[in-house]
Amino acid sequence: MSSAPYDAIVIGAGVSGLAAAAYAARAGKRVMVVEARNKVGGLCETARFGEHFRAPVAAHALYALDPRVVKDLALTRHGLAFAVRDMPSVGLRSDGKHIVLPRNLAAGTRSISIHSRADADAYGAFWRDLFALARAARTLWWEQSAGGERTREMLARLGYRSASAWLDSWFESDALKAMLAFDATAGGATPQEPGSALQLVWRAAQEMCGLQGAAAFPKGGPGALAEALLASAQAAGAEIRTGAPAKRIHANGAVAAVELASGETLACRAVLSSLSRRKTLLDLAGGVSTGFAEAAALARARPRVGAAKVLLALSAAPPFAGVSVPLAGRFVVCDQPGGLAAAHACARAGELPEDPAMEMVLPSAADPGFAPPGQHVLSVLVRPVPLVPVQGWPALKPKLVERVILALERHAAGLARHITAAEALTPSDIEYAYGADDELGGAATAARMLAPWASRVKCAIAGLYLCGASAEPLGAISGRAGRIAAVTLVAEQER
Amino acid sequence: MMDVRATPFHARTAVLNPGNAWTSRNGFTLATAYGDRDAEALAARTTAAMADISWRWRLRLEGERAGEFLSRLCTKNVAALSPGVALKALWLSDGGGVRGAGAVARLGPAAFTLYASAPDREWIGSAAARVGVAVRDVSDEDGGIALIGPYAAQILKAAGLDPALEPLSFRRMSWRGLDILLSRFGEHGGYELWCQAEEATVVWDRMMRAGVPFALQPAGLAAMDVLDLEKGIVRPVRDYEPARTGFAAGPTPASLGLERLIDAGHMPFNGRAAWLAARERETQRLIGLALESQDDLPNAILLAGGQAAGHTLACGFSPALRRTVALAQVHAGFAEPGTEFTLVSPAGPVPGRGTELPFLPDSGQIPP
Repeated sequence: MSSAPYDAIVIGAGVSGLAAAAYAARAGKRVMVVEARNKVGGLCETARFGEHFRAPVAAHALYALDPRVVKDLALTRHGLAFAVRDMPSVGLRSDGKHIVLPRNLAAGTRSISIHSRADADAYGAFWRDLFALARAARTLWWEQSAGGERTREMLARLGYRSASAWLDSWFESDALKAMLAFDATAGGATPQEPGSALQLVWRAAQEMCGLQGAAAFPKGGPGALAEALLASAQAAGAEIRTGAPAKRIHANGAVAAVELASGETLACRAVLSSLSRRKTLLDLAGGVSTGFAEAAALARARPRVGAAKVLLALSAAPPFAGVSVPLAGRFVVCDQPGGLAAAHACARAGELPEDPAMEMVLPSAADPGFAPPGQHVLSVLVRPVPLVPVQGWPALKPKLVERVILALERHAAGLARHITAAEALTPSDIEYAYGADDELGGAATAARMLAPWASRVKCAIAGLYLCGASAEPLGAISGRAGRIAAVTLVAEQER
Repeated sequence: MMDVRATPFHARTAVLNPGNAWTSRNGFTLATAYGDRDAEALAARTTAAMADISWRWRLRLEGERAGEFLSRLCTKNVAALSPGVALKALWLSDGGGVRGAGAVARLGPAAFTLYASAPDREWIGSAAARVGVAVRDVSDEDGGIALIGPYAAQILKAAGLDPALEPLSFRRMSWRGLDILLSRFGEHGGYELWCQAEEATVVWDRMMRAGVPFALQPAGLAAMDVLDLEKGIVRPVRDYEPARTGFAAGPTPASLGLERLIDAGHMPFNGRAAWLAARERETQRLIGLALESQDDLPNAILLAGGQAAGHTLACGFSPALRRTVALAQVHAGFAEPGTEFTLVSPAGPVPGRGTELPFLPDSGQIPP
């Protein structure tokens, strides 16, 4: 046995890092988690908002949590419960003809029929097709297996297809296509890019709370998931140290130690990094552990597009006009499918898109603990926005809030009157480029999604594993990369 | 890139080249031959030949981490070099393909010069920048001549220079008012003399004058290429296409006979893991080939026993061997010396026989 005090040091105490730590600790490894901030959770954070409200700071709904992580780490026993297990998707329209897509296919079909009879007819077949393909793809995305050959072939074909072309082949109404296309922008790509169709399949493959393609809201918000993971990791014996940013990974052929910003050096046999591939390999490992070409590619791939957050406190429920919508839903505001590409181009150029695409959740409708009775808190994710705007974020923040309120007024006239507090969180505030610190573009994202887990989890130096969003097929809060990285580490250390 | 430059010796080489036989390499204009290519190549074996080698790519690397960086770049432990000494090594892509080969000389604790036959600016420059190592292309700052042949040392002595120098080492010196660097990095057992560009013609004249009693002959690029061929030396771009992309898996060192330039025990070099993995699957070998032909047949297909066996790289007439020889990449199964091959040529089949490399040893010994 090595003399290093730790078998593994986990960098970052987000969902991935905590999951990795819990798995490694349960396998009997001596684990230390080092977290730069003073609290754990990463993107899963529930914080006070104003005096009487609470709000999810970054992620505001979960749709990709790995069911095996929930089960293996006994998260329910450690306090994880869901306020809403299956949030219906709502495509908000300025003409009041909102589309509501609950799990019930017939209800979804009825809702679509006010836009297009043909789309309503096609919807059931589309859903079955998508879900069947997604189920087949799970062999590739769930475990370290390579997946069946036929599945791979099918997915590889989709790897060249754009989400917009795929949706065009099914539907005619912009309202439906725009709403569905929004989910293909998670990887920092536009729905027009080749390969983006795969993101829709990936999203449909997820199994949140045992329901395929669902979105859920935990009791207490996403922060509660982090707390359950923390409890599970600590119960398994993992040590957690917050306020301890890692500065350098020391390696000489194999990982030897992690140096903290404080100057303290922790010797270890392996490192599980939940930071991005670029941060881990270039900034922390100094680029010496990657190949020259890989380092150059990582250095070139500067992301330019991310997501921002606007939180609004409301004195009453948002007055959505027209078709009645369930308040505990997941709202998508995206008028035209083509608008997403325009917004993306705008964001890439460093400008705030005129008509931003948004995803909204009313946490207070899901969990009454988020706002005083009768009042509400609205969490608005705006994507895409520039990561480094020309004007700079301080000047852009008020503009972002203004644009969001203007857009909301179009869908819920009179909402502005109810606003009692507003706060904008920039991409850097929430450290949140939606998992994509290395912006790849559609085709490269597709290639990454089809690659075997080992190629994303393992690195050129022995003992260094990526366990965060960079290791996932597509960045998301899932804990799956944490599980697979930890299992890989345990297997390699015990060999 | 249309980048044609004269070397610092051009004023002298132009006078010696009445036939106007010019060629270019790395963007430099060079004399192909000053008279008879074969005579020039033979002079390097019998008396002495002097060639303009200013076309070699020279990169200065400076910085506290320069040694560490070069150890990552190159296939040998550059960090362990002492000042005044050089080593020859390859540099590989992430996928283990050969990107280049050259000599790395340590000038001081944190300063090195890389000498190579073909430039690889972007690859080395961008990787060096990431670790704070400054790189500067110094190919235009000085001129170089090679002095090759059994009388090379005596010519240096006659010119007033001390020829006592081990192979793969160098020495800076003042030569009657000129600052020069004398090195022995070459492949042919000779010397190289590097001088300031503006002093190049003086250096050329002094050497030519000192060489008169030893029948020193200026040699063009064609004669130098013949020496490489006879010694079994392949150079990137001229003889093979180096790895052009960062992840390229070929050409492999073994397929070019370059594995001697890799220290397998040197851990950190780029592409090591890929090189080791590919090594087990390697099927290509570099061999010599003696041909029954008067024509040069580079890049020709080779058949053996009715099968495709490989292809030739460089090919030419060796005046010392009095026959046409070629370097060939063949399947390992055909690498045995003595294997009979047939070359597919436009003029019909040409027989050839596999031989060991090099065809001829160094030309540096004085004949008995």
